[in-house]
Amino acid sequence: MKCIKSIAFVIIILFSNQFFAQKKVRYDLFVRDTIVNFTGKNVKAFAVNGHIPMPELHFTEGDTAEIYVHNQLSVETSIHWHGLILPNKEDGVPNLTTAPIKPNTTHLYSFPIVQNGTYWYHSHTKLQEQNGLYGAFIIHKREKQEIPEYTIVLSDFTTMKPFEVHRRLHNANDWSAIKKAKIQKGAVQSYGDAIANKSLKTKLGNEWKRMLAMDVSDVYYDKFLTNGKEEDEAKQFKAGNKVRLRVINGSSSTYFWLKYSGGKLNVVASDGMDVEPVAVDRMIIGVSEIYDVIVTIPNDSTAFEFLATSEDRIRSTSLWLGSGIKQMASPLKPLKYFEGMHMMNGMMKMNGNLDDMGMNMSLQQMDMNVVMYPEITGEKKPMKQLDSMGTKYNSNALSNIVTLNYSMLRSQIKTTLPNVPTKELKFVLTGNMNRYVWSINNKTISETDKILIKKGENVRVIIYNNSMMRHPMHLHGHFFRVLNGQGAYSPLKNVLDIMPMETDTIEFAATESGDWFFHCHILYHMMSGMGRIFSYENSPPNPELPDPKKALKKLYKEDKQYHFMINNDFATNGNDGEMMYQNTRWKFQSEWRLGYGNEMGYEAESHFGRYIGKMQWLFPYIGIDWRYRKMGLDKNIENNIFNQANTKNGRSALCIGIQYTLPMLVIADIRFDSDKKLRLQLMREDIPLTKRLRMTLMGNSDFEYMAGLKYYLTKTFSLSSHYDSDMGFGAGITLTY
Amino acid sequence: MLTTAVLLSTSCNGQIKNAKNLNLKIDGNCETCKKTIETAANKKKVSKLDWNKDTKIASLTYDSSKTSESEILKRVALAGYDNEKFLAPDEAYASLKECCKYDRNRKKTEAKGEVVGNTVDKVEISNTQNISVNQFKVIFDSYSDLKNALVKTDSKLASAKAGELSASILKLEMNKLEMNQHEIWMKVYKDLISKTEKIAKSTIIEDQRKAFMQLSEKMYELIKFANFDFPIYYQHCPMYNDNKGANWLSLENTISNPYYGSQMLSCGKTIETIK
Repeated sequence: MKCIKSIAFVIIILFSNQFFAQKKVRYDLFVRDTIVNFTGKNVKAFAVNGHIPMPELHFTEGDTAEIYVHNQLSVETSIHWHGLILPNKEDGVPNLTTAPIKPNTTHLYSFPIVQNGTYWYHSHTKLQEQNGLYGAFIIHKREKQEIPEYTIVLSDFTTMKPFEVHRRLHNANDWSAIKKAKIQKGAVQSYGDAIANKSLKTKLGNEWKRMLAMDVSDVYYDKFLTNGKEEDEAKQFKAGNKVRLRVINGSSSTYFWLKYSGGKLNVVASDGMDVEPVAVDRMIIGVSEIYDVIVTIPNDSTAFEFLATSEDRIRSTSLWLGSGIKQMASPLKPLKYFEGMHMMNGMMKMNGNLDDMGMNMSLQQMDMNVVMYPEITGEKKPMKQLDSMGTKYNSNALSNIVTLNYSMLRSQIKTTLPNVPTKELKFVLTGNMNRYVWSINNKTISETDKILIKKGENVRVIIYNNSMMRHPMHLHGHFFRVLNGQGAYSPLKNVLDIMPMETDTIEFAATESGDWFFHCHILYHMMSGMGRIFSYENSPPNPELPDPKKALKKLYKEDKQYHFMINNDFATNGNDGEMMYQNTRWKFQSEWRLGYGNEMGYEAESHFGRYIGKMQWLFPYIGIDWRYRKMGLDKNIENNIFNQANTKNGRSALCIGIQYTLPMLVIADIRFDSDKKLRLQLMREDIPLTKRLRMTLMGNSDFEYMAGLKYYLTKTFSLSSHYDSDMGFGAGITLTY
Repeated sequence: MLTTAVLLSTSCNGQIKNAKNLNLKIDGNCETCKKTIETAANKKKVSKLDWNKDTKIASLTYDSSKTSESEILKRVALAGYDNEKFLAPDEAYASLKECCKYDRNRKKTEAKGEVVGNTVDKVEISNTQNISVNQFKVIFDSYSDLKNALVKTDSKLASAKAGELSASILKLEMNKLEMNQHEIWMKVYKDLISKTEKIAKSTIIEDQRKAFMQLSEKMYELIKFANFDFPIYYQHCPMYNDNKGANWLSLENTISNPYYGSQMLSCGKTIETIK
């Protein structure tokens, strides 16, 4: 009898536990096509339950999430829960952890909520995040919070199709700089701009070191949004209110500077984890990063501006806190591009590596970009000369404006890892701006194997950024500690922004199982292959992926994607065109010159080759060369510089050659063909003379030469004129796809 | 007749299509203001604004398909001028010429930051505890201003701020202090006033900093009894005073070193947080 009683008691306890702790919270997300209009132009987008961003999801620590995703698109989709600790199969990376959600099917994500804080969720399929699939995921603490709060999801919006954005990035098209220059003078950094700014030497130095124009972000965005609006309002707050702002950067490739016109920003959490409060005047939030900040509403009948400005300072978006007359925050002044270029020239070595001049940069403390910030280094050219290099780029030492950096973050709890063996990895972030190739240790995701780790060990990663852009590196399913000098209280994060030339160290305890993605969260960098996969040894099979090998192949396919580009000049003296079909390493390229009629002749040249080396300056190829022309015999044979006879009238030859990018971005091309002819050619394309004017120069050992000018009208059309030794002078219209 | 009238009215608006007219109030003073305001607001074929410096009224015409009243008024505010919808950023107002610095009547002053003199009514209704806190707060605020002047290595400003500090020290009403606050006040009062006046009289930054070091020690003793509802950070520079080190108090945890200014702005660390 006694025994039965105690069993009954145990059962009651089990029940009540389930009753109180295991609250199920269900959400239904319907993913559908939609049309949005922010600029006067209708643009196709994806929305969930009719909203962009996706609805704000709320949970309390200890709940169980049950989220039904109904895919009503015509393509497959996925949802990744950014920053959440959950079973591997719920992580939502298609073909790596979770099956893709096919059109017209429903997928149930179900996982216990074991943490609290601000997080977000987004599609991890192709470029769908840019289409609108991002939203806030808020987990409340068990005890009630006494201060009011407001969630801010920042995002970037372009009227171009994300696919188009990606394709154009891979073809070094500077249309986006031209669009920026409409708003901010000098964004193209042409030779004309350089002369006007008395920085011609800087521009020449820049091209000597084989760099294209400086840019702090590659994509031109038509709008930046706060909770899906250009300007959001939160009128409910009154004077004296302290408000917790949960700020999520849900953009695809935009860093934002944050400011508040009502006073300081008190940073209280980063990537969902509480930190010791620290008050700053401004801060940068990386792509996919999250900060919780507390602001105060200073007085009534005024609305105060929470201003988020894109890092390139082209546009901004705001939230107005409080009601009444609007107190504006002072905007960020335009970047001093040529100062930045001058700085880059100093840092760039001739071999394409970066040189930090012994400054040991880390943790966002020294921002080389301060040379471009008028508010820190003054409006005019000369920089404040300081004795030591140590403070030259430290914006907190250069001005009274306090800017947040990672060394100021301190965890509220001890974060030391268990005392077990540590696996140490070294990642060098690598990239090639000109061809838009992004990688780690010069290898893309598909070019490497998974990195095996063991459950129970610690993993330490030392990351050095040897590329010219900053990268927000994100780890799925884990928090890492950032070794920032705070010892046992080093902050926990899941996104680390790392600036060019910085070295940062992160470490985490390997406590999970399965495969976890570690990648750059700039969408177009990730899709180009900038990432790695951490794979736990001896993980149980993942029921989501019955054929893991096939799934992995699908995943790898993404960064191997080929990009297509074609242009043709319809000119008075013939058609002049080029097409390219290329991926990370391989390129198929074809050029043609088609005259009007047999006498002018037809000529086409095709190459297929592979880029070699980290900087991809070397390009060996094989090709085919074909030409036809009908002209008098006396003109048929021409000699080249090496005194080899050359027929121009009819020829088809196989060739083998090498292209090499020289300083000043001149492409030297040496080739040898099946007629035993040698040809040496030098060519420089698209020299930016002014905002829209580009010049091309070419000459070779067959005494052929060409000079051309092109004037961009739109992203597709340009006016062009050129002189060609074969075809003579011509003018026309160039179409570019 | 009607057609001519329509034609006339369109020609009056220049080339602005879909024209919308309205009158707005924009604050400002003089002819220079007029020029700045209009340059900020006008855009060829899109918007035209005419501001009257006597009535402060602007007549605005704009193409409603291309821009909005808010967009134009925002630009005016960014140029430094408060208006019906927007208050100019403080920085923009500060960079206006002296003659253009109009009275900012639209901008509400912050309830807490103002000098006691203006808020007598408020002081009377609040309880004694609050008054004493306010008294030390006024002193601490002046001390912070002085510290910031030293951070900027601005000896003139430092001397002016020290003058303000000594004034607020003299103004303090001892009979409204708590018992323990009264005791500490009696102990440090003489030093506070002598060091402060030393800074006020000097124009040599080095002398000012030396006196500030001694002043900060006394301030530290005082602030321990202030019972502020926000933390104060006691910070330390190891190099000053021939490597013997020196301390100061700050509202912020971030270091802005008053002993070396921009030479070593972020040198130092917080050694105590007074709550």
